[in-house]
Amino acid sequence: MAAILRYLGWALFGLLVAWVLFVYFPGLLARIQPNTPPGFIRVENGWVYALGGLLVAVGLIVLYAWLATLVSNRRAQRKRSFWPLVGQGLTHLFMFLVLVFAYYPVLQILAASFDPRNTLYRILPPASDNLLVRARVVPDFSQLSWENYAKLFDGFILYPYQAFLLVVAALCLLLVLVLAAYRRLIGDTDSDSSLGKLQGHSLAAFAILSFILVIFLSPEQFTGQGTEAKFVLWVRNTLFVSGITGILAVLLTATAGYAFARFNFPGRYPMLLVFIFIQMFPGFLGLVATYVLISNLGLLNTFTGLVLAYSGGIISFGTWVYKGFLESISKSLEEAALIDGASKWQVFTKILMPLSAPMFVFIFLLQFVGTYSEFIVANLFLTGVDSWTVGMGLRNFTTGQFSTRWGLFAAASVLGSLPILLTFYGFQRYFVSGYTAGSVKE
Amino acid sequence: MHRSPPGARGFLIAIGLLGGALTVAALAGLLLFWALQAAFPRPVEEGYPGYLILIFGALVLIPILVVLGRRVPYLTDWYYLLPAITFLLAFTVFPIILTTYYAFTDYTGLRNGKPDRSTETAIVRVEGRQLFVEGNAHDLLRCDEPDCAGQALEITTRTQRARVRVEQASGNTITLTAPPPFAPTLVYKINEFRFIGFRNFVEIFSRAGTVLIPVLVWNIIFAAGAVVVGAIPGLILGLMLNNKNLALRGFYRTALIISWAIPVVISVQIFTAMLNVQFGPINRLLGLLGAYPIPWLTDPEWFKVSALLICLWLSFPYWMTATLGALSTIPDDVYEAAKIDGANGFQTLTGITLPLLRQPFIPLLLGSFAYNFNNFGLIYLMGPQPGVEGRPSTAQAGDILITWAYKTAFQADGGQAYGLGGAISILIFFLTMAISLINFRFTGALREVR
Repeated sequence: MAAILRYLGWALFGLLVAWVLFVYFPGLLARIQPNTPPGFIRVENGWVYALGGLLVAVGLIVLYAWLATLVSNRRAQRKRSFWPLVGQGLTHLFMFLVLVFAYYPVLQILAASFDPRNTLYRILPPASDNLLVRARVVPDFSQLSWENYAKLFDGFILYPYQAFLLVVAALCLLLVLVLAAYRRLIGDTDSDSSLGKLQGHSLAAFAILSFILVIFLSPEQFTGQGTEAKFVLWVRNTLFVSGITGILAVLLTATAGYAFARFNFPGRYPMLLVFIFIQMFPGFLGLVATYVLISNLGLLNTFTGLVLAYSGGIISFGTWVYKGFLESISKSLEEAALIDGASKWQVFTKILMPLSAPMFVFIFLLQFVGTYSEFIVANLFLTGVDSWTVGMGLRNFTTGQFSTRWGLFAAASVLGSLPILLTFYGFQRYFVSGYTAGSVKE
Repeated sequence: MHRSPPGARGFLIAIGLLGGALTVAALAGLLLFWALQAAFPRPVEEGYPGYLILIFGALVLIPILVVLGRRVPYLTDWYYLLPAITFLLAFTVFPIILTTYYAFTDYTGLRNGKPDRSTETAIVRVEGRQLFVEGNAHDLLRCDEPDCAGQALEITTRTQRARVRVEQASGNTITLTAPPPFAPTLVYKINEFRFIGFRNFVEIFSRAGTVLIPVLVWNIIFAAGAVVVGAIPGLILGLMLNNKNLALRGFYRTALIISWAIPVVISVQIFTAMLNVQFGPINRLLGLLGAYPIPWLTDPEWFKVSALLICLWLSFPYWMTATLGALSTIPDDVYEAAKIDGANGFQTLTGITLPLLRQPFIPLLLGSFAYNFNNFGLIYLMGPQPGVEGRPSTAQAGDILITWAYKTAFQADGGQAYGLGGAISILIFFLTMAISLINFRFTGALREVR
């Protein structure tokens, strides 16, 4: 019976694949209009050349692998197959293609951000001998300028003390990066070593300095014309809201996760179920109700109101993850402390909190990154250019009434994704370990 | 008396005490707020901010909790949950209840239960239950009924406001059902919404064939497809990068995470520009390969392909990292044993690696399905969608349930029909719950908790 079901499953799967390949796909192709718009360069049977080029590359790899193995075999007087080397070469070729796929949008947006002409929607192709440049597949780097970036910083006044803080913060960050690279070089993985401590301290200093900068940046410092001159303010707003939401997430979930993991009060299981199932209501569809609530509290168009609106959706996941983390820690230390007369609160603050720092960082970062890219709720709750967030500002560049300002959008995208990019690469370890601690249980 | 009474009784006592404390605090906050308003009146336009209620409530709550904690010591266990519970109640449970209520009403952007400021009318004179205005009361207030019977109104002075109901209005006289509590100077019409029972749901299901079913089918295909197009390339990349002899392994690993590290709100908008029919770099690249311009975002079917393409770009780093993480937990001696037994690479892959990956992958796959089922950001940020004949503008080719609900509730072309949007939200809630139950069943998450 089970075998029949399995064959039936495979047969259905095969039918589905056949349908996609022989019915759906030709239907898709038939929807393409066979005409070329002005300025569009089409090479008849270009794919033959591309495939040929790829085959030549494969041939070169095989040739290289064969020669290299031949030489090393001669020298070492042994007989080894050259196929593993071919496999490596092909892997590198494949990785190169994947890298092109992954970085193609990044390359295009970087190029557009340095191009003062609105390149995306220009019909005339750039004058160049290179076919790839003329077809605008590879961006035209003939006219680079900082104009788009300059527009974003137009009329921005930085007070001297803020400039000083900025420089110090940047130095701290630089120190962190240098230390990280150096420690990797000498193979120092212990975070309690003196260098590791220094790295931790300078990272903390960087965080505190950036926090001060974010708090004391005010709308009066932005005197430029046009909405785009407020871009730095938008970044500041977003960082502020995301940071506060992240801290709130940690504060609200830490004690709850502790209670669920360690206490055995009646009603623990039903409460846990409530926490899980409440989260299944699509959060922002309660927006009308949240809007009514926040407007009655008189908090519309304030960051407090926005953070409160976010706060409902951040609790369950963090609680769940933190509970899972605590359950993976041995109870023996806590039990010893309890026998010695410590209260539950002392156990939590003195023993568990220092141990949980990586998990708190993970919960904070996850919330920080998630809130940074949010724009629907922000769009509803914040009015007025001064309190916009990055997402809202970017959306304004592409759907604004002055049509798409592609160059500005590109420059703003590059600058706007930098904080998250840095966070992500800086704390990559926490992201990976947090995800595995939360989801992959052994 | 440190132990809580066991079982349901202890649970109910604790919940009752906590709920009582929260209710008392909320009511006290409200009362104090009203007392403040009554004692020191301020103009209606710049009244006391509403968040004072929260502050007063918290000020009342803390002493109550301290006293309760002294009297009922086992309740202190619950205090660890209290911050989370309070925020959940205020900003998740309350909106859910209110949305559920709206789903049974005809609440729209016009009928929102608020006074219509464009019907502001000055009151000349007040006599008992009668208000006198200059001109025809019915025309000034734009009532629905010919004599304004049953119409709700807001009356204000500089520092006070109240809601009243009309018995009837004729000429320049408005007769209220009860005398106003103060002598008002201005009157507004209130756009009331009404309870309409299951009519919103009837509307959804009566047109199910053209809207609900196609949207739901595409929603499921999208969620499943998004998982497949992300997981398979990610798995392949992870397996390739797990080869310890591969040079530049760490570099590839770090470099390929890029699309995970760029905020979605930015990367999706970049992609919509990249996929432009005439100007997009992707079509230009394909043009060099001999293709005609592909209508990525303007053709209903290609729009769906584009959504999945963006999903591929966005999610393969996550799956690559997950694969590498799961592979790192497989001990090396398993492979050595297989090698000694004479297994070749392919046999090792299908016999050891893939079966060992199944266990950690199932929860990730189901979680990813549930996430993509409600992946609002991606579909919404892809911008205006190609139209499909016979469907409303809120549910076009690429719309999934959640964007349909959002556009119905918040966009002008959906009529800002919050009631209808709320009804769709409830459907989504039940679907998400069903998916999650299946998820828990497969992963055993609930059993583990117990």
